[in-house]
Amino acid sequence: MPESTDLLQGTLDLLILQTLAAGPMHGWGVAQRIQQVSRDVLQIGQGSLYPALHRLEYKGWIASDWGISENNRRAKYYRLTATGKKQLEAELETWERLSAAIAMVLGRSVEVHG
Amino acid sequence: MIRETLTRIRFMLSGKPPAELDEELRFHLEEATEEKIAAGMMPSEARRLALVEFGGVERAREQCYEERPGWWMGTVAQDVRYALRGFARNPVFTIAVIATLAVGIGATTAVFSVVDRILFRPLPYVHDDRLVSVGLVAPIIPQEFMLGGSYYEWRDNQKAFDAFTSETGASTCDLTEHNPARLSCATVEQNFLPTLGVAPILGRNFLAEEDRPNGPKVALISYGLWSSHYGLDPGILSRQIDVDGTMLRVVGVLPKDFEMPALEPADIVLPQALDEAAQRRADPGRVMYAFARLKPGLTVAQAEAALQPVFNISLNLAPAPFRKEVHLRVRSIRDRQMHDVKLAAWVLFGAVLAVLLIACANVSSLMIARAAQRERELAVRSALGASRMRLLRQTLTEALLLSLVGAAVGCLLAEILLRVFVGLAPSGITLLNHAQLDARIILFTVMVSLACGVVFGLLPALHSPRSIALVARSNGSARAVLLRRGLVVGQIAASMILLTGAALLTRSFRNIEEQGTGIEMNGVLSVRIPLPRYRYTTPQQRMEFFLQAEQAMRRLPGVLTVGTSDSLPPGGTHGEQIYNNIAIEGRPRASTGTGGMVVWRSVSPEYFSALQIPIVRGGEFTAEQRTSKDHFVILSSLLATRMFGGDDPVGKRVQPVPNGPWYFVVGVAANVKNAGLTEAEEPEYYRLRRDLIEDWNADAVLVVKTSLDPQAAAPWIRTQIAQIDSTVPVQVETLTQQVSKLADRPRFETALLGFFAGCGLLMAVIGLYGVIAFLAAQRTQEIGVRMALGATRIGILRLIAGEGFRLILVGGLLGLGASLVMAKWIQSLLFNVEARDPLSYVVAVLIFALWESLPR
Repeated sequence: MPESTDLLQGTLDLLILQTLAAGPMHGWGVAQRIQQVSRDVLQIGQGSLYPALHRLEYKGWIASDWGISENNRRAKYYRLTATGKKQLEAELETWERLSAAIAMVLGRSVEVHG
Repeated sequence: MIRETLTRIRFMLSGKPPAELDEELRFHLEEATEEKIAAGMMPSEARRLALVEFGGVERAREQCYEERPGWWMGTVAQDVRYALRGFARNPVFTIAVIATLAVGIGATTAVFSVVDRILFRPLPYVHDDRLVSVGLVAPIIPQEFMLGGSYYEWRDNQKAFDAFTSETGASTCDLTEHNPARLSCATVEQNFLPTLGVAPILGRNFLAEEDRPNGPKVALISYGLWSSHYGLDPGILSRQIDVDGTMLRVVGVLPKDFEMPALEPADIVLPQALDEAAQRRADPGRVMYAFARLKPGLTVAQAEAALQPVFNISLNLAPAPFRKEVHLRVRSIRDRQMHDVKLAAWVLFGAVLAVLLIACANVSSLMIARAAQRERELAVRSALGASRMRLLRQTLTEALLLSLVGAAVGCLLAEILLRVFVGLAPSGITLLNHAQLDARIILFTVMVSLACGVVFGLLPALHSPRSIALVARSNGSARAVLLRRGLVVGQIAASMILLTGAALLTRSFRNIEEQGTGIEMNGVLSVRIPLPRYRYTTPQQRMEFFLQAEQAMRRLPGVLTVGTSDSLPPGGTHGEQIYNNIAIEGRPRASTGTGGMVVWRSVSPEYFSALQIPIVRGGEFTAEQRTSKDHFVILSSLLATRMFGGDDPVGKRVQPVPNGPWYFVVGVAANVKNAGLTEAEEPEYYRLRRDLIEDWNADAVLVVKTSLDPQAAAPWIRTQIAQIDSTVPVQVETLTQQVSKLADRPRFETALLGFFAGCGLLMAVIGLYGVIAFLAAQRTQEIGVRMALGATRIGILRLIAGEGFRLILVGGLLGLGASLVMAKWIQSLLFNVEARDPLSYVVAVLIFALWESLPR
């Protein structure tokens, strides 16, 4: 958890949006996926995931519906809205510009992870 | 963006049910637990680990709630509830703050509403900053004027103004149609309204051909007259109205806020229709009042310099003896309007600012004290997780709440005070009757007090609560204590200044009230009967009416004497002339200067006995002289001494007006206060008004001395007059009432300043009490230790009182010093009192000392 509190708020939002871009997902799934994709480097404090999800929903970037999970339980599924898609693109662009700039300052070439 | 906003609004309105969040979090935890069980953990261990990985469930839930848009609004309600509970627990503090704010806001707003009209209000003219009054100043007329003989020269040859115009004053006139009324008619030049930038709201201004002798008879009417007499009927434009027997066609209606620049009342505005060619030739010509609009960028001083050449032309036209006493004057219209009330207005304004400052200092010091008291409380809340923002918001909420309640009560108070002021105020104070509460003014004072409360309320909250506050009793920061002491000293100094000002004015007012006027006012009634001019057109008719009225009064029971005059002392209008115009038989007329002004009245023989003015030499007028062909005069001793030195004037002949009749001097009367209550007496003479038509060009005022209660006699007098002519208006007043009206101005000023001094002192006492109580509370521990070590109660009291005494001493001395410096500014408001009158200061200090010793 200590690492997670250091995560910039905008970064967490970006990660959530990116994760949901793959398809609707419930909160537990989002946490799992971020952890898997980031190869356990970024450990999201699961507790701070939900305020972020709610914030994004209040902003209208994601929406939620009740659905049935893989093991037949009622779960809340979040999906990206049209606004959210646009926002994701914009944020990705900003992020890339920012990381490129940081990399340049640090004197390294951009390392692109798949 | 729009969609986002819509979503936010939707969530703000409906929110999400808490059950949903609970279910969502439960799902998460169960999934996590199951995953761990699947990995081979014991169920209980799996659940524990899942909870650990999740972090605080309750915290997450709260954070989710806080994400909701508009979540903070709920906390405002919470803050307000909390604040109200705090106020209820501490009612003394709450009432002190609200009362201080209310008095501060109320008094400031009310007085500012009055003063604003006088000092700051824009005049209802376009380019009012460029409009000036232009003219000559000479002893004969108090304000600047022009004469027909030179006005046109100035108008045509001046270079400093865009526009130059004139008016010839206002006089009473009678509207004689279906609903007769006595009105005031002003006469103006054709370009008068355009120069001021005033356009009629209906119809048009005069045409050039209407402003000529024998031109078409037209009139503009005021909005007030249009509304009261013609029901705002637009058809008025085609109407003819009958004014003083002349039919006038109404060509326009003036705006609601229209006023003459010299503030003469004007119900009807007429073209002055002067014969320009005749005026140019005339010497001196008609008295006129000139107004002009400066060219853009020109100052008043530059305009005055530019007018010098035309002024010199006029000066050369004037008779040589006058030249030295005639000056050129150019000044703003506001200065002309306010020439005698400006100082009083500034003094009031200063007093009100002082009260506002005291109020602010009080609120500030109360807020600081409260904040210091609550340091512990804030520290506890902070330790329990309240954010800095949250604490700031709480403080702000409290300050705002207090200020709002204070402002509301203050506005109510302001409205009441303003009504009291207007009720108290003499009619002579310009524009006061129009004063009303102005939203700008309320806003201003509310903002000021709000700022005081908020700034000083926030100051202590800004630095984060010290953790020491939790464990030890707070000692308050030394800075806050110093600040409070400074505030209290300032308050005391300001109220000391107010107090000395009030003491000086009170003494001045007593001097005015108690001075001798030279006449006996007890049991004397003045009866004024303004005869309608359209009915009483000839001096013959007027004389007959007044002689009948005089006889009728004599028949009334209880009436001792009935005299007549054309005017009454000590104030008001009366005949006036230049001293050097009076010739003494056998001596050449003086030829240098004007010699100042001389008052004259036209009286019946009984005038002197009715007012009990002693005749010090010679005799009174006699009944036989009333029908004589000769003219008779009585001089005041001031005039007699000036004209004849020690010689006996009785039997000599004087000629008051060049080429006029010669008068026999029959006696010398004692001096009478005749230039208002506050000015020095002027020389005066009394012409005998004989029962001859030539002496009856003016109306008369009857002076009735009665042995009955004057109030009881008044209805009988009215009945008697009604028997002669039931349609004439009759004004009966006791002389005491009339004279008391003259003292209204000083009484008003004194009452106001006294009121402010009281307010200021009261608040300063509250502030002082607050600071002493605060300091004592701060030293509870110290006092406890001292008492344990054997200090007596008296010793402790002396310790605490000594603190307060030092503050009072420093503040009082500062205030006294400042009053001595500032006193010279109010010197001209004072009557027979030196601005540094020691007695007033001693009285002020005594009252101050008394007040300050009250709360303990």
